[in-house]
Amino acid sequence: MKTRPIMKPLFIVLICCLAGVSAARAHAFLDHADPRVGSTVKASPGEVKIWFTEGLILPFSDLKVLDASGKEMPVSNKHLDPSNGSLLIVFVAPLKPGKYTVSWRATAVDTHVTHGTFPFEVSP
Amino acid sequence: MKRLKTCGLIAAAAACGIASPRAIMAHGFEGNRFFPPTIQTDDPFATDEFSFPNVQLFQDPPSPGGYRTRELDYGAEFDKEIFPNFDLEFSDAFTTLNPKEGPSSNGFQNFTLGWKYELLQVPEHEFIFSVGTDWEIGGTGGKSIGSDSFSTFTPTLYAGKGFGDLPDSVPMLKPFAITGLVGEDVPTEAANPNALEWGIAVEYSLLYLEQYVKDTGMPHPFRDMIPLVELAMQSPENRDGGTTTGTVNPGVLYESRYFQAGIEAVIPINKHSGENIGFVFNVNIFIDDLWPKIFGHPVFGNTETNVASNPPVSAK
Repeated sequence: MKTRPIMKPLFIVLICCLAGVSAARAHAFLDHADPRVGSTVKASPGEVKIWFTEGLILPFSDLKVLDASGKEMPVSNKHLDPSNGSLLIVFVAPLKPGKYTVSWRATAVDTHVTHGTFPFEVSP
Repeated sequence: MKRLKTCGLIAAAAACGIASPRAIMAHGFEGNRFFPPTIQTDDPFATDEFSFPNVQLFQDPPSPGGYRTRELDYGAEFDKEIFPNFDLEFSDAFTTLNPKEGPSSNGFQNFTLGWKYELLQVPEHEFIFSVGTDWEIGGTGGKSIGSDSFSTFTPTLYAGKGFGDLPDSVPMLKPFAITGLVGEDVPTEAANPNALEWGIAVEYSLLYLEQYVKDTGMPHPFRDMIPLVELAMQSPENRDGGTTTGTVNPGVLYESRYFQAGIEAVIPINKHSGENIGFVFNVNIFIDDLWPKIFGHPVFGNTETNVASNPPVSAK
């Protein structure tokens, strides 16, 4: 097939490009959370956990819980899990039944910043 | 059929400007929305991108007095943000033509140079509007594959809109997003027709669903996928340019940490657009994550407008 002469160098270059992956670090993005994204929980969760795709720099990372009116709920003890530097945890004051939004900001170990939001609900 | 710019040999222009990593990235983000680089239609983001390879197999319609020809393109595109929200884009492709009868031929297509500027961004509504121009440089491609000897300029308007701002009563519609473009081909040789280039991409982001709307528990790799349909069209306007041609391209994109891989069917909309169903395969490498000190920020100036606010991928 006449295309082979060009195919071969193209894929070699591709492989070389992807080979750099192991040495690189990506931005920190949300992988999953507790309470789960969009879930309804039966009782106030006590704490909010977000597992990110990369390790975080704690002082430059944040997690807030907002009620349906946008009022910020009291949180405390923001910390990373001692055995998992990509798991951000905050304790949250007891939440009344209603809809809430988690707003997060993550600074990855490579110093890139990401942020986002997701909802959850506390049922009556 | 002249397709929208999907091809290209690697741009010669290397990125310059080394800066410290900061809160800027090359991915196309607007608010909570990640707009993936689409394959057959150009997305509205003026960011660092490296699309390679872009392999397309297609059956061209027979030319007058000629035969059906199978066309295979190997292309690449490199985009580099020069100033905040302004990039330069370089693309080319190597094409092989295999007619049903007669000798085959191959060669490079005309080199294409372009620019794009993000004119309006509304993150809370996941909206972006951009302008740009492509310059297909005549005479830089191989004559044996029919590359034009004249140049064509294509000023283009781009837009993108995510639907994350829909009411909470319709959560499953929030992952939808659309991007589109409309441009005018202006050839420098008067005998050739002007044409309207237009296209649209409709996407349903499972990433967005799982990470910002509702965690359904969908496993990898499915939660890392974005099904989409692209429409890439060209409507000649004068000088016996013929009828509208184009393709409908249903497919799926897969997002990983460092690259996006996509595959689409290439379905001609009429007999003037092609024969049989082709396919296109594309890899888009997230060069800002691979080399954050070099890519993911403009060469000159700084901006916070491209702060990533939505993940392109989940951890594995």
